[in-house]
Amino acid sequence: MTMATLDRRSVLGLGGAMAAGVVLAPGVSLLAAPVERTEASGDRRWAMLIDLSRCTADCTACLSACRKENNVPLFGEPSRDVHWIRKVEIRDRDRRRPAVNLPVLCNHCEHPPCVHVCPTEASFVRKDGIVLVDEHRCIGCRYCMIACPYKARSLVYHETRRGLESNPGVPIRSKGVVEKCTFCVHRLDEGREPACVEACKAGGKSAMLFGDLNDPDSDIAKRVRSVATKTIRPDLGLKPRVHYQGL
Amino acid sequence: MIDEYAAIEGRSSGYFKLLGLMGLLVALGGAAFVYIEVNGHGVTGMNNTVVWGLPHIFAISLLVMASGSLNLGSMSTIFAVKHFKPFGRFSAFLAIALLAGGLTVLTLDLGRPDRMLLIMLHMNFRSMFTWNVFLYSGFTVLCFLYLWSMFQFPQFTKVAGSAAFAWRFVLTTGTGSIFGVIHAREVFHSAITAPTFVAISLTSGTALSILLLVTSFRLTGRVLDLRLVHALRNALIFFLLLVLYLLVVEKFTKFYSPAFYDVEQWILTGSYAWLYWGGVVLLGVIAPLAVLFNHHWGNQMGGIVLAAALVVMGLFLFVGFVLVAGQSYPLNMFPGYEVTSVFQDGMEGSYAPSLVELLLGLGGVGVSGLLYLLGIRFFRLLPQKATAPEGWDVAWHP
Repeated sequence: MTMATLDRRSVLGLGGAMAAGVVLAPGVSLLAAPVERTEASGDRRWAMLIDLSRCTADCTACLSACRKENNVPLFGEPSRDVHWIRKVEIRDRDRRRPAVNLPVLCNHCEHPPCVHVCPTEASFVRKDGIVLVDEHRCIGCRYCMIACPYKARSLVYHETRRGLESNPGVPIRSKGVVEKCTFCVHRLDEGREPACVEACKAGGKSAMLFGDLNDPDSDIAKRVRSVATKTIRPDLGLKPRVHYQGL
Repeated sequence: MIDEYAAIEGRSSGYFKLLGLMGLLVALGGAAFVYIEVNGHGVTGMNNTVVWGLPHIFAISLLVMASGSLNLGSMSTIFAVKHFKPFGRFSAFLAIALLAGGLTVLTLDLGRPDRMLLIMLHMNFRSMFTWNVFLYSGFTVLCFLYLWSMFQFPQFTKVAGSAAFAWRFVLTTGTGSIFGVIHAREVFHSAITAPTFVAISLTSGTALSILLLVTSFRLTGRVLDLRLVHALRNALIFFLLLVLYLLVVEKFTKFYSPAFYDVEQWILTGSYAWLYWGGVVLLGVIAPLAVLFNHHWGNQMGGIVLAAALVVMGLFLFVGFVLVAGQSYPLNMFPGYEVTSVFQDGMEGSYAPSLVELLLGLGGVGVSGLLYLLGIRFFRLLPQKATAPEGWDVAWHP
C-alpha cells in the first residue's frame, strides 16, 4: 500500500464528505422560521370576470394598457415576446358558430401548478390569492412555464432597458427570469384596479370586472352568483380565478 | 484483491489527445455558457413554447445514463454475479462522472445560474425539481460511499451498493416524474413516463458501460473476456425488450381512450413522428435488438459495440422527443376548439437548436469524459484483466 494510494483514498473520502455536505446543507434551511411575505389580507379573494359579449376582436386596449403599466417588453420576435395578457380567438372545429375573441391572462389559480413546481418558491400565492413571481428569487429554470396549462408565463429572452415611456413605478423586466400577470398588484395595494380593467372601462366596453369574490356585496361576487360563467379547463381542478361570461 | 486493479499509465499520445478533446469540449461549453449568460437565452433556439432545448436533452440524457451506469456494480453487489465484481469501481465512478456532467449543463442552462444556490436555501417540497436536488446529491454521496467501500472497507460494500441501487431507481423515477406529473402536457403526462425513464436508464447505462469498457480495455491492452460482454449483451436485450414493452403498453392504454386520440395521432403521424418512429423506436430499440439477436453480429464484439452505440444514441433521441415534441404540442386550453393568437396559441411550437446550445451540451459530455479519463488515470478503477472462469458461459446466445 503506497502513500499515493492512501492519498487517492483520502481524495475519495473528502469528495464523499463534500457531497454529504451538499446534500445535508439544504436541510438546515428547514430549521429557519418561515418568512412573512406580504401584508395582503387573507380575507380577500381577487378575481376577474370577462364578459365576452362586450369584448370585441379589434379592441386591444387591455393589452396596451398592461404593456405600458408593467413595462412588458416586445422584442419583435413572436415566439419570444413577453405576454402578460393576449387576445385569443377560438372557433369550433365544425365552424358552425362565429369565432369568439377573449383575453387570456394568468388565471391566479387556487391550486396553481406553477407554484407547485417552482423549486425556490419564487412563484408563490399571496394571502389574497394573487399568484406572483419573486423576480429576485426566480432562477429561470422555466419549470413553471412547462406546468402552466394557460401559457400565461414568458421568459425574458433579452436585456431590457428603462426608457422614457417606462413606468417608473414598476421594475423593468429582467433578462433570464420568468414573468407573468400580477393582477397589477401594485395598483391593488393603492386601492386601484388593474390597468387592463381600467383601460377596458375607459374605452367604453366595461367587459372586465374585477373585485373581491369573498365580499358578497361586490359586483363580481354578485355577477358570478347571478350569471352563468365558465373558467378555462375547469377539469384540471386548478380553480382559476378568471371567469368568462358567454364562453 | 486490490492488486487486481491498476490505474492506466496515461502517458500515450492517444490518452493526451482524448484528454485534450474533452478539455476542448469543456472550454467550448464554458465559452457557450458565458455567451448565453451575457446575451440572454435569446441567442439559443428556445422560445416561449419550447423552453427547454438541447442543453436539457444533454443534461437529462447524462443523468439518466448516470443512474444506468450503476448496473454493472449492482450485478455483483446485489445479484451476486461475481464475474462482474471487477467492474464495480468503474461503475460507481462512471455514475459520478456522468452525474457531474449532466448537473453542470442543467445548472448552466438556468436563466439566472448566478442564483442556483437559492435552490439550497428556499426549498419547495412540492416541486419535483427540489426532490431531484436531494436525489442527485444523495446519489452522488452513495456512489462515493459505495466506491470508497470497494477501495477500503469491503465489509460495507453490500450495504453501500444496496443503498445506491435502491436510490438509483428513485432517482430516475424522479427524473421521469419531472415530465410525468405535469398534467398540462399531454405528450408526456403519464404514470408510465417515469418507469420508461427507469427502463431507458437500464439500457443506456449498460450500453455506455459496454462502449467504455471495450474501448478502455482495448486501448490499454487489457484482457476483457468476450463471455462477460455476452452476458452484458443478454442484459441489454432484456432491458431493450422492457423499453419496447413499456412503449407498447403506453400506446395501447392511450389509444383506448378517445380523449387521447388527437395527441397520440399527432405523436405517431405528426411533425415529430420521424423522431418517434425513426429515433426512439427504430434506432433506439428495434435496430439494436436486430443486431443483438443476429446470430453473427450478436456474438461479435463489433456487433455488440454497434448495438450499444445505437442504444446510447436512442437515449438522446428519446429524451429529445419527450422534451421537444412534448413542449411543441399545443396546450389544449379549449378542447374541441381551434385556437389562434399572437402568442402562437393553438400552433405547434418550433425549435431549431443553435450552435451555442450544442456547445453547452457537449461541454457536459466533456466534463463527464474528462472526469472519466482522469479517474482511470489516477485511481485504480479498472481491473488489469476481466475474465470468467474456464467452462463458464452465458446461458443463451442468439
